[in-house]
Amino acid sequence: MVKNRNILRALILLSYVAITLFLVYGVGALYSYLNTGADRSKMLHTELKKIEQYLPELTWAPLKNKGRQMDDQTLSEIENDYLDAWYVRHVAYKTNLKAGIDDYYTESARKNIFSIIKQNKLKKITIDGTTLAHHLTLDFFSEDGQLVVLTDKNVLEYKRIYSNNTFFLETYETATYKIILLLEDGFWRVRHLIREDVSKVNRFNTRKIDATLDIKGINYYPQKTPWNMFGKEFNDTIIDVDFKIIKTAGLNTIRIFIPYEDFGKAKVNSEKLKKLKQVLDVAHTNELKVMITLFDFYGDYSVLNWTLNQKHAIEIVSRFKDHPALLAWDIKNEPDLDFDSRGKINVTSWLKRMSVVVKSIDKKHPITIGWSNAKSAVILKNKVDFISFHYYKKNVNFKNTYASLKKEISSKQIIVTEFGTTSYKGFWKPFGSSEDKQSKYYKYMQEQLSEQGISFMSWTLYDFTKIPKEVVGKLPWRRKAQEYFGFIDKNGKKKPSFKYISKD
Amino acid sequence: MLRKQTYLYLFCLICISYISPGQNSIKKTDSIQLISLKTHFEAGSKIVLRFSSLGKNNPVLYCSHNYGSTLIKPNIKSPTVLSYEIPSHLSNKSGMINWSLSSNNSSISGQLKIRPKTKVHRMETYLGPPSIEAGGRDFTMLVVIPTDNLDNPLKPETPVLVKHQFLANETSTEIKTDQLIAFKNIFSPNISGRMILSSESFGKNSKEYDVNIVPAIPTNFTISVKRNHGYADGNQITSFITSIIKDSLGNTVSDGTYVSFFIRNKKQAILKTSGTTILGVATAKMIHPDQEAYWTIKAYIQGISESNTIAIKYTQVITDFDIQFSTNNRTITVGPLTSFMDQMIPDGLHVHLVLLKGKKEIGIITKTSKDGFVKFNLAPGIYKKDTYNFQIRAAGITKNRQAKKIW
Repeated sequence: MVKNRNILRALILLSYVAITLFLVYGVGALYSYLNTGADRSKMLHTELKKIEQYLPELTWAPLKNKGRQMDDQTLSEIENDYLDAWYVRHVAYKTNLKAGIDDYYTESARKNIFSIIKQNKLKKITIDGTTLAHHLTLDFFSEDGQLVVLTDKNVLEYKRIYSNNTFFLETYETATYKIILLLEDGFWRVRHLIREDVSKVNRFNTRKIDATLDIKGINYYPQKTPWNMFGKEFNDTIIDVDFKIIKTAGLNTIRIFIPYEDFGKAKVNSEKLKKLKQVLDVAHTNELKVMITLFDFYGDYSVLNWTLNQKHAIEIVSRFKDHPALLAWDIKNEPDLDFDSRGKINVTSWLKRMSVVVKSIDKKHPITIGWSNAKSAVILKNKVDFISFHYYKKNVNFKNTYASLKKEISSKQIIVTEFGTTSYKGFWKPFGSSEDKQSKYYKYMQEQLSEQGISFMSWTLYDFTKIPKEVVGKLPWRRKAQEYFGFIDKNGKKKPSFKYISKD
Repeated sequence: MLRKQTYLYLFCLICISYISPGQNSIKKTDSIQLISLKTHFEAGSKIVLRFSSLGKNNPVLYCSHNYGSTLIKPNIKSPTVLSYEIPSHLSNKSGMINWSLSSNNSSISGQLKIRPKTKVHRMETYLGPPSIEAGGRDFTMLVVIPTDNLDNPLKPETPVLVKHQFLANETSTEIKTDQLIAFKNIFSPNISGRMILSSESFGKNSKEYDVNIVPAIPTNFTISVKRNHGYADGNQITSFITSIIKDSLGNTVSDGTYVSFFIRNKKQAILKTSGTTILGVATAKMIHPDQEAYWTIKAYIQGISESNTIAIKYTQVITDFDIQFSTNNRTITVGPLTSFMDQMIPDGLHVHLVLLKGKKEIGIITKTSKDGFVKFNLAPGIYKKDTYNFQIRAAGITKNRQAKKIW
């Protein structure tokens, strides 16, 4: 009895404590919520930072304007506000909402936009658009500094039109505009916008490379830093040692990955570029060629981000297009895996655009897209210089898979840029693979590749200790399997499969 | 063989280059053909694109203009004709419309040019800066955007008449629009005042605008002095007055021009006073000194112009005064202090009493005169019983009283 009563007492006491704690926490949370936004510095907008949200290619013709002489400060303000005016208009037509229009269009100009929004909303039309290039000329600047006239030549516009939420049409147009901007309330606002000329872009003038590559390669990450090759632990001596192993094993190419966000998105981090250059330099001294895969871990293909993506690509490609170790550009690793979550049209039109961008800068090196399977490899086959796909299915089916793909695409070289198997057997996969099975897999595959003279890149040099969850997800059996794909185990010992790392 | 191919290629290129903008570049297809061939329209007119169609489906027309794009559904009048009306919010704006129509396996596209109306509805005018300097070097700019009633800027080379009036002058000049606008620089006349401007195009007049022509920068000037008398009584006020300050063209400078006066006395100390101009004249004031003085005065409009230098003299009025000790020598009465006609000096003259122990200064007391006298009281709590030397200074005169004992 006494014991029960004590238990009861303890329970009541504990519940009392718990209720008090909960109340204190609740009131505290409410208090701090009500206090958010009460920061005085925020009230004054003193810490407004410029977010890079819209960075199409933009050039100014040399200044020869009539009227007042232009200064750099004003010119950059005009440029910012003019681009913002385009951006808010894209957002407005995408959402059919009026947000932001008032800031960048004068009262009489915004009427035009509002009437289009009204009509499109009524007809359930939404337009996902962006502009990719502007070529501005300053025609006139008034003496009091309140009015400018601009000509924007050959604006490259992309529009994707949806009717009733279904894709209707996508189009590229180049147009020339005359614009009058007025300085009102500190904003350069559009007063008149007149399209003087327009033409539909049917095809982009890009070069074509008939690539015949002889690749015996491997996908490369350092053992300690998989999927984080250019991080803090970057060490070119380790990379040099690895490249020597790769070279002596009889291989001639590596495939590496450039993570989009890690490299600074639209504003490419110069430190990372330096590290990438070191990797290429080390590859060059070891007589290895490098295939660079862009946009790794990038999964948002929205049209409004295209300008940022293309800026990223332009910076990297123009920096390394003349590097002697460069072999080819892989636009994106396994983009077909994003079809379900992002929509096929979003992904493919993005890929088309990025291929055009890379081709327009690098006229020498071939491009490809690293499709995750042979079935997807026919997509955009005309846009790439050679076809590449990844093969992780059963090795016995490889021959047929390749043959049927070859039948569909006879004119272009087809390369397997990823293949391999795990040697994992353990708690999560008790009847899994083994190092022996892995070795047999490679032996068979190499025979096939050799027989048909197929260029290849295997996955991968090392067994890894840590796999980021972005790569294969959280499931332990998948992560575990991913750790044992290497030719060399975690202790640096060569597995039996190492014998079959290359063709004879 | 190769040469033949090259010629063929060149021929194709020439053919392509002949397709000029504004024309319909039509890809001929079996199923849809454009019937309406007009491609140039005036803003605000009804635009209907008609196509002959054999297909059964009714394709939607894509159409894009200055500010945005839209889709248009067909209006079916007969089973073989599809007609699409461009909505007024697009057809009202001058510029280039492009459209495209695709059905099953064919697509057709083209362009429409919309020109602004020829009648002016509004003269959108911007004028700045709003005030300029006289003299013909400075100018203001008039920017005119003649627009039609649908807010489209008129076509290039539209004549605009810029009219301006100044005093008896009325001028009008014709300018032409270029890059959507017409502009003119209007240089200032030599005389300050107000200029009235307006513009006109095809009989349509803008409203009235004005520009202030402000005088140019001041030139050097002279100064003079005005005072009641030349005595250093520390009470009267001397005024310094400039001549009418003008710019190089004879325009009186703007009211409120700031003039600084620098006064230098015998000891080379500087006194400063200032005034702002009204009708070109600035006045500044300074109280008379309380002892004999010789001032040289010069005025400046800082960084721009200066005056001549003038000198004035103040004569001493107090020649001597009495000092009386009373109440245990703790009360010292100075006075009477008399002015130039032996009248009591006006209240406010500074008198200093300095207490010295040997040659060491112990305290200094300053008081101002009242009714011609100054009375100092040495409080027993502060100044102990002892023997002191006293020094009294007033109006530049110093008098000493040695070894006075107070108790």
